[in-house]
Amino acid sequence: MSQRGGAQRPNGAAQGKICQFKLVLLGESAVGKSSLVLRFVKGQFHEYQESTIGAAFLTQTVCLDDTTVKFEIWDTAGQERYHSLAPMYYRGAQAAIVVYDITNQDTFGRAKTWVKELQRQASPNIVIALAGNKADLSNKRMVEYEEAQGYAEENSLLFMETSAKTAMNVNDIFLAIAKKLPKSDSGGQSGQRPQPGVRLNEQNQASEGGCCK
Amino acid sequence: MALGKAQFGVSTFFAASHSNDKCGANGLPLTPNSIKIVGRFQHLKTLDHHHICKYLDCVRGRHERLMIVQEHYTNNLNLGWKTGKFQSEDNLVKLAFEVLQGLYYMNQHEVTHRNLSMDNILLDTEGKVKLSNFGMYYMTNGGAYVSFPVGQMCYMCPEVICSGPVQIDEETELPVLPPSGPKVDVWSLGCIALELISGMKLWEGVSNQQIARNVLVFLKPDCDVINSICTELKCVEKLQSLSPYLNDFIRKCLTVDPTHRPDPSELVHHEMFTVHKLKQVSPRNGYHLFTSKLRCKDLELPELTENDVELDNDHLSERNMEEVYYLWRLAGGDLEGVLKKAGMIKAKPPVTILPSLTLDNGEVLGQGRDQMELLDETVVLLSQDQLRQRLSDIDEKSYYKLLEDESTITEGLPSSPSNVDLNDTASLPLVIKEKDVEYQFHRVILYERLINGYPYKKAHIWKEARVDVPPLFRNLVWAALLEVEGDIQAQYDSIDKETPIGTDRQIAVDIPRCHQYHELLASPTAHAKFKRVLKAWVVSHPEYVYWQGLDSLCAPFLALNFNNEALAYACIKAFIPKYLHKFFLKDNSPVIQEYLAVFSHLIAFHEPELSNHMEGIGFIPDLYAIPWFLTMFAHVFPLNKIVHLWDTLLLGNSSFPLYIGVAILKQFHDRLLSFGFNECILLFSDMPVIDLQQCVKDAIQIFCNTPKSATYRQHAKQTPKKNETRPNVSYYSRDYNEKPSNELSMEPLTLDELRSEKCPRISAEDLLELGEFIGNANTRSPTKKRGNGKPLLLVIDVRGPDEFKRGMIPGSVNIPFQSAFSPEGDLVTCPAVTTLKQSKSLVKVVVGSRGRNASNFANELVRLDYTRVCTLHNGIDVLRHTGILSVPPPEI
Repeated sequence: MSQRGGAQRPNGAAQGKICQFKLVLLGESAVGKSSLVLRFVKGQFHEYQESTIGAAFLTQTVCLDDTTVKFEIWDTAGQERYHSLAPMYYRGAQAAIVVYDITNQDTFGRAKTWVKELQRQASPNIVIALAGNKADLSNKRMVEYEEAQGYAEENSLLFMETSAKTAMNVNDIFLAIAKKLPKSDSGGQSGQRPQPGVRLNEQNQASEGGCCK
Repeated sequence: MALGKAQFGVSTFFAASHSNDKCGANGLPLTPNSIKIVGRFQHLKTLDHHHICKYLDCVRGRHERLMIVQEHYTNNLNLGWKTGKFQSEDNLVKLAFEVLQGLYYMNQHEVTHRNLSMDNILLDTEGKVKLSNFGMYYMTNGGAYVSFPVGQMCYMCPEVICSGPVQIDEETELPVLPPSGPKVDVWSLGCIALELISGMKLWEGVSNQQIARNVLVFLKPDCDVINSICTELKCVEKLQSLSPYLNDFIRKCLTVDPTHRPDPSELVHHEMFTVHKLKQVSPRNGYHLFTSKLRCKDLELPELTENDVELDNDHLSERNMEEVYYLWRLAGGDLEGVLKKAGMIKAKPPVTILPSLTLDNGEVLGQGRDQMELLDETVVLLSQDQLRQRLSDIDEKSYYKLLEDESTITEGLPSSPSNVDLNDTASLPLVIKEKDVEYQFHRVILYERLINGYPYKKAHIWKEARVDVPPLFRNLVWAALLEVEGDIQAQYDSIDKETPIGTDRQIAVDIPRCHQYHELLASPTAHAKFKRVLKAWVVSHPEYVYWQGLDSLCAPFLALNFNNEALAYACIKAFIPKYLHKFFLKDNSPVIQEYLAVFSHLIAFHEPELSNHMEGIGFIPDLYAIPWFLTMFAHVFPLNKIVHLWDTLLLGNSSFPLYIGVAILKQFHDRLLSFGFNECILLFSDMPVIDLQQCVKDAIQIFCNTPKSATYRQHAKQTPKKNETRPNVSYYSRDYNEKPSNELSMEPLTLDELRSEKCPRISAEDLLELGEFIGNANTRSPTKKRGNGKPLLLVIDVRGPDEFKRGMIPGSVNIPFQSAFSPEGDLVTCPAVTTLKQSKSLVKVVVGSRGRNASNFANELVRLDYTRVCTLHNGIDVLRHTGILSVPPPEI
């Protein structure tokens, strides 16, 4: 949690750029999306983290060298049925973390589906990270590290196994994303706000690219 | 069961604690055993029989301590046997018969005593048997959740001693071996009977190991159990002198092979009891709610005896034991305090219980075992003095409240003896009312009668529920407000809740995260019930699907009806069509989008400034309000708040939740206005503390200031009920859609239409009624009237002056849309605009002809922060046939 001190540095600090990015978390329900965000943003872990309905929103700032990166994090509901809401959140996102649970093979399959959908429908420059969460339960592991890593390499995704419970790799994965995001001037703009009424079947709606408005 | 002469007793023990940091298979920490016990305990509360002591409460203390409250009597067999009373065969047989009836009853409810001893056979003031402490084996899951053995060694049958301590499968929470069945108690009864005959205690002062050895000897094939026990007790001849029936009975009880030993259900029919002319008294046909049976069938009224007349002075004893205990707690009853006073809980300075050494892995060394943690079965009496003192001034009549006494209906609540009008208490904040023993006493008496009169007393329940709902009867009052009727148990039982379905995984991952801070809902018992209720709903509603959020919605009903899954299910089944019609469709997006669009309109109608700001920053309801409405706020508030919110919600109609939503925004009005997008959304991503009572009050006020058709939704439940039986004509609970529509009513709008307009449309009916153009009788959505008879609305006609002159709504002002606004977007001053500006609090109905002028004009008014702006659905044309249009008076 080395950067948490830095996170409190005032945004207006003169020594560097401030970039704002929209990041979305996707994945099957109960894989630990909300827990990852909570660990990253508040440094907390709730054993009985309530399920997310619709989506939740949080922000966190990290410092990278002379750049302040502010994440606007959209944490989505995992249940398949809420799928129709997802485009509203990933549209215009510059980064996505697709989460699965290493103790459950099905959630890995679902993660792959999400990656495909993002590659097809999200903005083309989106940075996608794959997080194998619940790494503290490695004795119950059902998804091998190598398998996921191989998949991530094929699809040029960032990949880490994380544990929201022990905080392992949680900050690291967000930092890795921050590093990979383009910090050109355009990156300084806020992500696009979610808009209602997105139709699921509208295939290319989101492909116009990152920062508009 | 009525209190009678019963007392309350509290006992305490510790649940076995888990070692530090131990996690279950799912990575979550293990559920504390005390929570598991609380969950299992709930079932015991439902047992009600004249030969068992009623369980009343199970409270968790610190460090896995549990406090159990049970009906109690100071006399028991251990004290009574020395009198020699039970050496008489008659008395002994009667005693055995009563014990068996108690055992048989609990067996029918899946409880085995497994702890029968002389201490646990209490004798009430009339000398009748009351079995006590019979729930220990059940609530501890066969002893698995405690570190001490359940039961006294000398009364244990051979198979219990052979099976050793119980082992539990951690995944399923079920014992690896089947738990002890009813037959083990029969053995204990046999032992006790012989002790009573002999007047001696079996193996008194013998060590447990030796007792175990003695019992295991019985397993030898040629062992004569009765003979060896009688020899031990020196009563061989005594037994022979007794009747052959009794001898046979005891022999049957002490059968070594459990397959040949009878269970209580068989033994109650033993001929010994026939000879002694003992019959089972069938419990009085108590009236049950929610049944299809006639309530008067087989009803036996107790005969009034002279004893009863004597009892009459103690009115409290006539009340139900649970009620009295509830009041006892309100009157300052403090279990922990009583136990401390009795020396059962001793506070030790923490420094004295620190371990000498703690290792890296959390293991501790040198921590002496606290004597207090050992099992002490002492029962401490809970004095009822304080409660009786608090109620001493209450008028006798209050115990027997007449429902049909007109004076009480008009006067409201009776005045209390302390001369504080209870109506004053009624207006106090809920948290105070719910803790006021005197006030709750009156409410409990009243509601108990009303509930027993349900459904005939439905209207009266609605009326009282508008004052408040007493926590003790909240579950039943809610069921009444939801109009649950019929044989709900049979309905629930007929649903297949076991066959795996596709939703199982989702339900399984959602339940362990749903309101788990609530100790009842966190127990494995609760999880199993939760799963069944949710599955029952999913299975029996094939047109709907499980959406995350259904779990939260179900939680309040389950928590309130923990011991009545069928009622929890019946409530959720009635609740969803009332407030969440079609929300759980597989494709619910049109329904939710319409709901949210109407919500936006309502915000604009009442809080235009806020609405403009939030829309401006893109903070739209889709981003924050879905969990609000999909779960009727059950996902965003803790259960203790939800119950108070729903107390009012259930009185409202299907649109009422929208008003609660507006009231919540209103409470954060200033903050939201000063916030940007991020702050706004962060504010609601973790629902901040709100003043719920204020919120409810505001919601009602907003509701009263809104024409009903403004929240018209095409996806709301349409079909009016056939043969309308609802007696309540409450303004709040009536839905717009309940009455058939006509040409003056609202009609479905497309989502695009709804979204293109900022404020609601109202129907011509509402216009006519609000403007008092026609009488109240003809409308289907009567509006709350103001007392002073001042107009409620201002009609703004935006057509051109020529059209206006040809026919206008009486009292309307004409602001032609074409010339209304200056290039800067402000209203151009004219007399009509002045009238508009002076009519801040009136509902402003913008009326045009076909075309979008009216809605555009209304949008502009909202933009200028005018409140209560709406448009007339279908414009002026809809009024052509009503005959109210007139020609304006010539201008002078």
